Amino acid sequence: MSTQQHSGVPQPRGRMGRLSAWLDQPKVLAWLMLGPAVLYVIAFVGFPFLLAIALSMSDATIGDPSLDKFVGLANFSAVMQTDAFQLALRNSLIVTAGTLALVLVLATLASELLVHSFRGKRLFQMIFILPWALPVSLTAIVWMWFLDSTFSPVDWVLVQLNLLGPGSVWGPFNHLYFLGREWLGLASVIVTDTWRMLPLATIIVLAGRMSIPEERFEQARIDGAGVFRILFRITLPALKPMLIVAILFTGLLVIGEMSLVQLLTRGGPGHSTQVLPYWAYLKGIQGGSLAQGAAITLFLFPFLLVASVLALRAAYRSQEA
Amino acid sequence: MSYVESLRCKSVTKFMTGAFAALAIGIAGTASAQDEFKPSPQKFPTDYGDITFPAQYPDGTAISITQWSHFVPSYDEWFGQYAQKWGDEHNVKVTINHISLGDIPATLSASIAAGQGPTLVEMNAAPSSFIEGLQSLDDLNAAAETEFGDQADTCRYTSYLPAKDQWYGFCHGWVVDPGVYRSDLWSDAGYPDGPQTYDDLLKGGAKILQDTGTPVAVGLSPELDSEFFARALIWSFGGALQDKNGNVTIDSPETLAAVKYIKELFENALTPEVFAWNPASNNQAYIAGTASYIQNSISFFRSAQDIGKPVTQNTSFRPGLKGPGGEVHMPAHIWFTYVMPKYVTDPDEIQSAKNFMLDLENNYSHATYNSKLYNFPAFAKQVPQLYADGGWLDNDPWGSEPADKMAFMKTAEDWTVWPGYPGYANPAVGEVYQTHVISTMMANAANGTKSPEQALKDATDQINKIFKKWRDRGFVGSGDN
Repeated sequence: MSTQQHSGVPQPRGRMGRLSAWLDQPKVLAWLMLGPAVLYVIAFVGFPFLLAIALSMSDATIGDPSLDKFVGLANFSAVMQTDAFQLALRNSLIVTAGTLALVLVLATLASELLVHSFRGKRLFQMIFILPWALPVSLTAIVWMWFLDSTFSPVDWVLVQLNLLGPGSVWGPFNHLYFLGREWLGLASVIVTDTWRMLPLATIIVLAGRMSIPEERFEQARIDGAGVFRILFRITLPALKPMLIVAILFTGLLVIGEMSLVQLLTRGGPGHSTQVLPYWAYLKGIQGGSLAQGAAITLFLFPFLLVASVLALRAAYRSQEA
Repeated sequence: MSYVESLRCKSVTKFMTGAFAALAIGIAGTASAQDEFKPSPQKFPTDYGDITFPAQYPDGTAISITQWSHFVPSYDEWFGQYAQKWGDEHNVKVTINHISLGDIPATLSASIAAGQGPTLVEMNAAPSSFIEGLQSLDDLNAAAETEFGDQADTCRYTSYLPAKDQWYGFCHGWVVDPGVYRSDLWSDAGYPDGPQTYDDLLKGGAKILQDTGTPVAVGLSPELDSEFFARALIWSFGGALQDKNGNVTIDSPETLAAVKYIKELFENALTPEVFAWNPASNNQAYIAGTASYIQNSISFFRSAQDIGKPVTQNTSFRPGLKGPGGEVHMPAHIWFTYVMPKYVTDPDEIQSAKNFMLDLENNYSHATYNSKLYNFPAFAKQVPQLYADGGWLDNDPWGSEPADKMAFMKTAEDWTVWPGYPGYANPAVGEVYQTHVISTMMANAANGTKSPEQALKDATDQINKIFKKWRDRGFVGSGDN
């Protein structure tokens, strides 16, 4: 009588059988499953990241990207002393914070709406997800037309409402010149980023919202809690882990995004809507100072890393609680 | 003496030329004026200066060319056919890859970093910051000058770097950047010949804006056209970014006067839309009839002609505007500069690519014609049809009304300069241009973010740092070579 019969579990036979058994071991299987992802991260994240660090401490130019001269932190020091960098840093933080604030409020509202059934919900969901499916360039082109200095339909509506134009509140011009004024330009970038990021954030928050048992809301309503009390005492605390994840994703995607600013304002007027990724591109690729470009891209990394770790820890904690 | 200057000298002996021409026509009998001003027959010689090329290359020889999609689409159509024909004649496989203008530097950068990519890349501005990754084209440029005569300064100064004593590119053509105005609006404002000076632009532009609501439309945004307008203004006021030897000279009373002028122009004749513009915006505004004056190449006019826009009837061109001292300087709008990266090592590939570039210049009348006079030849002698009396500029083959609307470009080589003028377009000049230091200075002064003095001071600080960085690496200087 064989062991196989004793245990009731068929034991491997032959070479293939032994291979199969080896592959079935949890440790081996784990590495096999994780392997492609790990390789991907090393090749497409780890290596470029290390290369960027090396470049930022070299004197590499666009014509000679070799790493043959170590200059320490000189590039960081040089780029930090320019007006453009300081404005870009300020604007990156403003745009990210402004987008996050708007996205969180709207995503929470949208998830409240989408958690309920209503007629046309599927169509609404499809339309709602569309901005996320569009390429960034297409998003920018749509908004460029919307905010155009000559042909903006927003301006036209405001003129029709006598809010814009000679003698009006926002006159005397027939245009607001959204992209030609510092704060309107920044606001335009924030609104466009919000439009683009809202679907992703909503999906994340909605997942959290759907996991809250409906009984908790019913109980609260029976106890006489109003809408805001339910929102602040039940919904938001329960959504906290997912909101943190939404903040993390949205924040990282927005702060690293350069195409919108490149297409909408090109960082102007002057550098007043400049952001770090686009400034790095202008300095490093267009301007030829590859090493300084790398230094600009890496500048926010330590802060983002700390913020990400703290956010993830907070998410885990609130989930455990 | 440049070819254009020599043409002017010839006007002194116009009588004799006319007599000989009449005699020639009489003898030839059948030759018509139409034939005289057709593109020259295509020729592919094997000898250029000291370089001798094989008539046929070994089997398997191939070159690939990455260039930007031309603003006049008929050029790309012609170029594709020409390259195919050239390849068939020389037993070379020619592959052309068109990409957008803005992607060119990133593409070349990635190719150099990867050590592989196209054989030739066509740049639209001086690519001197790439010089360490580019092959020297000294022999090619020497052969071109031997064969074709003097090269336009706007090309020479944007493809040769004296600090390294190297030709890093071959500029085969350039584009005129004229002033464009609405003749009806300016005539009504009391300027029947349009604005002649920057003072006219200010006073006349303000009057037109007041009377009709149509502003002057010169950009103050971080983009190409705004950069060029700002430079034309500074040069015409007598200022310059650097001197011939690469010493920074931006901080001057002349530049300050130009910065103060832009503030005044903005307050009286512009609208805030100019801060938001991209390179297409002034064209769009002009074609939409909402601009009285722009500074741009003729490609927008060709587009307007193609779609039959009525604005073409009231459109007039002029060389740049005169500054307070009467000086007129405009940048070229674009330079067509081929570069060959160092990663190209196959001798047949290198040889055939050089052959291709020289043959292109040799047959440049086709390039000029098919670009609808957008491409001006780097070597004026190569396109006699363009400058000749009664030639393409006097009698636009593409239907301008009046037919001599483009004749103002006959003198373009005299008033066209380049980024870095009067010095060379070194990498520091390139970084100042690409990071929008000058247009930002102008915008900050115009919208009151900074006083003109402060805007100039801050720009000077940045420019000095950029120049120091590149000078320390040995890329700036020796412009007296």
